[in-house]
Amino acid sequence: MTPLLKVEDIHTYYGKSHILHGISLEVGRGEVVGLLGRNGVGKSTTLKAIAGLVHPSAGQIVFDGRPIAGLPAYRLARLGIAYVPEDRRIFPLLTITENLRTGLDRHGVGKARKQELLDKVYAYFPVLAERRNQAGGTLSGGEQQMLAIARAMMLEPQIILLDEPTEGLMPRMVSQIREIIEVLHQEGVAVLLVEQNVPLTLDASERVYLIEKGVVRHHAASAELRADDAVIHQYMGV
Amino acid sequence: MGLDAFFAAIPFDQLLIQTVNGIVTGMILALVASGLTLIFGIMDVVNFAHGELFMLGAYVGVLTLAATGNFWVALVCASLLIALLGAVIHLTTLRPLIGRDPLTTILATFGLSLVLQNYALWQFGPVARKIQEPFTGQFAFFYLQYPWYRLVIAGLAAAIIAALWLFLKFGTYGIWIRATTQDRVMAEAMGIPVPWVLTAVFAIGAGMAAASGVLFGPLVGVNHAMGLDWVLRAFIVVVVGGMGNLGGSILAAIFISLLEAYASLFVPPSQAVIVSFVVLILTLLFRPTGLFVPTPK
Ligand SMILES: Nc1ncnc2c1ncn2[C@@H]1O[C@H](COP(=O)(O)OP(=O)(O)O)[C@@H](O)[C@H]1O
Ligand SMILES: [Mg+2]
Repeated sequence: MTPLLKVEDIHTYYGKSHILHGISLEVGRGEVVGLLGRNGVGKSTTLKAIAGLVHPSAGQIVFDGRPIAGLPAYRLARLGIAYVPEDRRIFPLLTITENLRTGLDRHGVGKARKQELLDKVYAYFPVLAERRNQAGGTLSGGEQQMLAIARAMMLEPQIILLDEPTEGLMPRMVSQIREIIEVLHQEGVAVLLVEQNVPLTLDASERVYLIEKGVVRHHAASAELRADDAVIHQYMGV
Repeated sequence: MGLDAFFAAIPFDQLLIQTVNGIVTGMILALVASGLTLIFGIMDVVNFAHGELFMLGAYVGVLTLAATGNFWVALVCASLLIALLGAVIHLTTLRPLIGRDPLTTILATFGLSLVLQNYALWQFGPVARKIQEPFTGQFAFFYLQYPWYRLVIAGLAAAIIAALWLFLKFGTYGIWIRATTQDRVMAEAMGIPVPWVLTAVFAIGAGMAAASGVLFGPLVGVNHAMGLDWVLRAFIVVVVGGMGNLGGSILAAIFISLLEAYASLFVPPSQAVIVSFVVLILTLLFRPTGLFVPTPK
């Protein structure tokens, strides 16, 4: 079966600095895949390239059978690629409902369907429901992370790119993020998860890619890495 | 001089008349400035051609008024046509400059303003044209016969600004505009067609400038240089109100127009404009984020 997302040998530059040196990876439909590596190796850049926010100078990205490298990010969002950035990037002056509506007000989504999607996330995130008319910028870090994920879900995506969702969160929030990933998995949404939290990543994902200096150095089933963490030590330095 | 004498010396009737005058010009200025501030807020582009869109709007008003005989048709036609021109300008001159040094957009819009101004001079000549106001009724206001039309302008300008506010607050496209203003990259990642939102905002700003031009035309006459004076004051308003802050710009427009109106009780109107510059300089010195914006913590 063809994968949902196939990244083939992409290279990116920020100005003159060469950041990704030929990253290749695959994510199957509904699959949770982890992306691990030290700080600054290019994990976030990989996600940005898939989301269309950074355009690769070479290589291919194929989503759902079509090449997408070079398409504007807004087209990709509508094709079903949702992006949850490392710094959350909530619209600070929009209310929570308005933040959600940025992903909801698309062509072909009827009124009833919109309400259904809103009701679903509000049922799932009661904190957000309570504050639906409050500005996004007034939320705590953990709540902003919830909102960033909820907002991505409004796109009814086929894949969600999660960039360090547990960074800086309290343990209770971390386990809630773990649950959300499970819920997305149950609903058949694929997840490409970038994390520093190794145990959580190994627990949540089926396969893991290990990145170093802009290339994939190792690729293994999570179960394998759980049993033998020498490779993890090598690439994460933990 | 005793206190009584001091109060007796204040011409209350003139003060009231100037208050009304100040509010009328303030509303027009607010209409010009809100387009400018909307454009600045969303694309960090200082549109130096804004005054020429105001002027061209007035000319389109002159032409359609001559063709149709109906002021309101002229107002709507001018706004739509100049909005369309704004969209074309954005697509051809500003969109290609996205991501470049902001200086390039300043030069581009400045160049455009020269082109449009000289086009108008070449096309329409140096003699001012007249827009006939839609009605000429007057009412007694102290020693003056005050034209109703002036009050209608203020009301219409307020209505257009209110409509813009409602659209930004509640409309789907309004949410797109606000999201794009706050975080352009994330807006795009959420599926908002940002390049088109920018074009649309430029068109809306242009349409509002044109509407102001037509509304104000009957008071001053229409000529190729009429934009200069307005755009200068609109820039002052945008800075004093806090760059990109719509509410602040509206308050600043009324505030500055009132000050100028009161000042012209004591000095000739051409010198009253100095008051605006004083406010501008004081704002830049002491509250550079804007007079009506809470100082950021
Ligand atoms: N906008 C940018 N401009 C220039 N260099 C950048 C930019 N963003 C990231 N980089 C550089 O690219 C490299 C990879 O960054 P990133 O993808 O964020 O790494 P990671 O997410 O794995 O920590 C780093 O060396 C970083 O300094
Ligand atoms: Mg990162």
